[in-house]
Parts: sequence; structure tokens; C-alpha cells
Amino acid sequence: MIEIENITKRYGDAAVVDDVSMVIEPHTLTVIVGTSGSGKTTLLRMINRLVEPTSGTIKLDGVDNRSVPGHELRRSIGYAIQGNGLFPHRTVAQNIGTVPLLLGWDAARIKARVDELMSLLQLDPAAFGPRYPHELSGGQQQRVGVARALAAEPNVLLMDEPFGALDPIIRTKAQQDLLAIQKRFGTTIILVTHDMEEAVHLGDRIAVMDAGKLIQYASPAEILAKPATGFVETLVGASDRPFKLLSLGEVRDAVEPGSADGEGIAAEASQRDALAELLWSGRAAMPVTSEDGTAIGRVTVQGLVKRAARPQ
Amino acid sequence: MKAWIPLLLRLCLLALLVAFLSNPLWFEPLLKPLTQNGAPAIYNQGSLSSLAFQHLRTVAIATAAAIVVAVALAILVTRPAGVEFLPLSRSLVNIGQTFPPVAVLALAVPAVGFGEKPTLIALFLYGLLPIFENTLTGLTTTPANVVEAARGAGMTGWQRLLKIELPLSVPVILAGIRLSVVISLATATIGSTVAAKTLGEVIIAGLQSNNLAFVLQGGLIVAALAVLIYDALSALERMAARRMGQGARNA
Repeated sequence: MIEIENITKRYGDAAVVDDVSMVIEPHTLTVIVGTSGSGKTTLLRMINRLVEPTSGTIKLDGVDNRSVPGHELRRSIGYAIQGNGLFPHRTVAQNIGTVPLLLGWDAARIKARVDELMSLLQLDPAAFGPRYPHELSGGQQQRVGVARALAAEPNVLLMDEPFGALDPIIRTKAQQDLLAIQKRFGTTIILVTHDMEEAVHLGDRIAVMDAGKLIQYASPAEILAKPATGFVETLVGASDRPFKLLSLGEVRDAVEPGSADGEGIAAEASQRDALAELLWSGRAAMPVTSEDGTAIGRVTVQGLVKRAARPQ
Repeated sequence: MKAWIPLLLRLCLLALLVAFLSNPLWFEPLLKPLTQNGAPAIYNQGSLSSLAFQHLRTVAIATAAAIVVAVALAILVTRPAGVEFLPLSRSLVNIGQTFPPVAVLALAVPAVGFGEKPTLIALFLYGLLPIFENTLTGLTTTPANVVEAARGAGMTGWQRLLKIELPLSVPVILAGIRLSVVISLATATIGSTVAAKTLGEVIIAGLQSNNLAFVLQGGLIVAALAVLIYDALSALERMAARRMGQGARNA
């Protein structure tokens, strides 16, 4: 659990982060959203003390983060940044093993951990381990960056616009990978982004920041349904609000009894994808298939449209 | 096919240099037409190879000292605690460069006497600037997100310097050392005016006895050494840069 209490950061007279308090539950993915200059990155960097707060405290599992020296604190917290910041003169395996080496793990343990993470992120350890970062594609570099952040088995992972430099297709893949990793390790992830779409897709909870203040801190559904201010509403984007709302739910929750013709959709797909497919193919309904391939009912345009309406 | 021509030329130059230093008399017929009144065509007051060796040794010692001081100074002024010394260090190093080596020799002789010492002092001062400025450039232009990642991974200031900033600066620092060495190779010749054993001795002897052959052989040996060392250090830099995938940075 991360408790942020009345944290403020001033540069001169300007408060970049202004009296922010929030509690982040363990094993969840929290997204901090805001425009540039909203203080979201500064807030993130105060958690691992890359930035020292002017006032206020941050507690990790009840312990003030100022109770150990900054560099030791940072070895226990994963950190991944935009453009990944890989060390260009070190091989992929050396990059990933950075923090374990600092912590004094023995070579065999480091190698085992590096191989495990590389396999998990679909990078063949034998092929990619000895290569240098510049020999990798952007998507591969990003995965190495995430692997490096996770190498020392941190309970907390901080990510600063980790997908910002990726093209849309690789970005979607990287987001799926992140969710899978979060499920597997149970890491508490705090991710900063300016992209509300990404926030809604990834976040268990979303914190919206503007001009250094925390405007709203709630679940994605609540942010969409009840934006606290006009700013949050703008950020959500009035025109595709209903689609974002649909993207939060899986098709299995919208299944109606009955059958339909044509190609089906998987039960774990999002309701947004289902509606898009229906509209595009010009059908009013289509069958839903479960993981083992059996039909479990159908989804209809009418049913989905009802679900896209603002929750009361 | 063209790629090996420069390498071949350098190998020829090296072979020629080695041949000249080990057996200068082979080349006597070539240099004879430049002498007058039956003067000797090959320097005869000392061995050319031992002069070349001492010349290189003087340059090596002065450059090594300049590397240690310039790199240490650049590290100091790029640490948070040393930032305020940056302008002062820059001025000092610049004075070292602008003060003519001849003047340094003249001032150093009364203090340390004739011989190799004043030359070492002059070359050391003269060689500081390129190494200092390049180290400074290297340390201050390390990509921001790489340094940020190193901090985020929990490296201390020293660990960042030794594991990230210095290794990434190696190609730029090498470029500074290369400039400094080449300048020193040429400048070392004037050391012979204060009795340092360098190839300048040959040139000065030629000037005093109006023997063009002496002047030419002294000058050519220094030039050949400079070209070969310059190329060798360039190759080393390219190797270091390529390893980091930043070949363009030093192009």
C-alpha cells in the first residue's frame, strides 16, 4: 500500500504538486492522467525520491520513504521511463541485470532472473541477451526497459509514459503484456500518461491531475460516468465517452439468450469491439463463443447501446 | 576495393619509418643532393631511433599527466559540489593553451633547469585544454534519459559516473587525447632548444649548420609519427563508438 499524504513540491513560488493525498491499494494498477505540466511526473518521481517533496510524506507499506537513503529506496522500486533509457554500452542481459547487480546478487541468480524475464517478454535470452540496445527495435527496447525495471522483484513499479514512443499496434501489445505481468507478479503499478484512452484501458483506478492538484481519483467507470469537473470531462472526451465505457466491459457480461448467424465473437473480447464489429458488418446481433468454442448466446446492437448509456 | 587503400598506405608509411629509423644510411643517396660542401646527409650526432624513442616518451609522459589532471578536473566540475569551479577551471586550462610553449620553456628553465623537465611542463600545459573540454562535453551530453534511468535504478553518484557517464564519454575523451597528442608531438621539437632529447635536435642542428637534409629528416620523422598515431587513435575511437551504436556522434 502506498499512502501519499499532503505532498507538495514547490520550485520557487510555483507549486508543481499542490497538497496531494491519495492511497494506492496493493496489487492494483493506478494511472495518473493529466496534461503536460500538471505535476503527474513530479508526483510519480516523489514516490522513489528522484524528486524530494517540499512538504508531506509518502509511506510504502506503512514505512516513510525517507527512512532509507534515496539510492537504496530506488533499488527496491521498479522504474521504467519513456524512451526506456537503456544503457547503450551494455548488452541487453547486462541492462536487465542492473539492479540485481547493485544489490549484490550472485551471477547465477542474476542470469536465472534475466532469462526468466526475457522469456516472459518474448525475447529469446540466447538470441537477444548478448546484443546491444541499438540492435533492437523500438518495441523490443521497451520490453527490455520493463524487464530491467522488474528485475529485482520489486513490489512497486513506477512507469512514466512507458508506451509514449511506440506505434499504435506495438503499444496495444505492450499494454496487454503489462496487464499480464501485473496479474502474474501482483506488482503494484503506478503509471503516468496523458492518454485517457490508455488510462481507462489499463487502470484499476485513475487519478486525474491538473495544475498540481488531484482533481479526481476514482475507478474508470466512475470517471467516465461522473467526471468531477469540466476539465475531467474534456480529458475524457465527450464524443467517445460511451465507447470508452463499453471498452471497460467484456462481452460475456452483455450476453443475451438466443442465437444469431454469421461469425461470432469471443466472450472475453470487449463490448466496444463487439459493437464495432456489429456496426461494421451491418448486423443486429451476433453469436458469442466461450473459450472452448461453444456458443453461449448472442450480443445485440440494442443491448450494447443500452449499456453505453450514462450510468445512473 | 577502395577500403584497403588507406590501410595499405599507412602500412607503407610505417614500414618506411621503421626502415629509416633502424637503417638511416640506406636513405643517404636520397638526401645527399640536399647537402652542400660534403656535409653529412644523415644526422651523425646521435642515433635517430633513440631520439625518436625519447621524443615519444616525452610526449607520452606529458600526455598521461594531462589526461589525469584534465579528466579529474572535468569530473570535479561536473559533480554538484564542483559546479562553481567550472568557470575557474575553464580559465586556467585556457591560459595553459594560450600561453606559448616557447614562453613556458623560457620561464621554466630558471626554475627547473635545462633538459626534459621544462619540455614536460610546456607540453603538459599545452595538452590540457583539448582533453578537458572534450571530457566536459562527454560528461555533460550523456543522454538525459539514460542518466535518469541510472538514478532510477538506484545507482549512487559515483556508480553513475564510473558505470554510465565515463564509459559513454570514452569516444569523445579519446578524440580530445588524440588532438592533444598530435599537438604535443609537433610542439615537443622546440624542447631541444633547452637541451631536451627530442627529434627537434636534428632540426635545430640542420638549421645551425645550414643542412637541409637534417631539417627534412627531423621534420619528416615527426610528421610520420603524428600521422600514424593520429590514425591509430581515430581507429580506437571508432571502435569505442561503434560498440555503443553511436557512430554518428563522432563523425
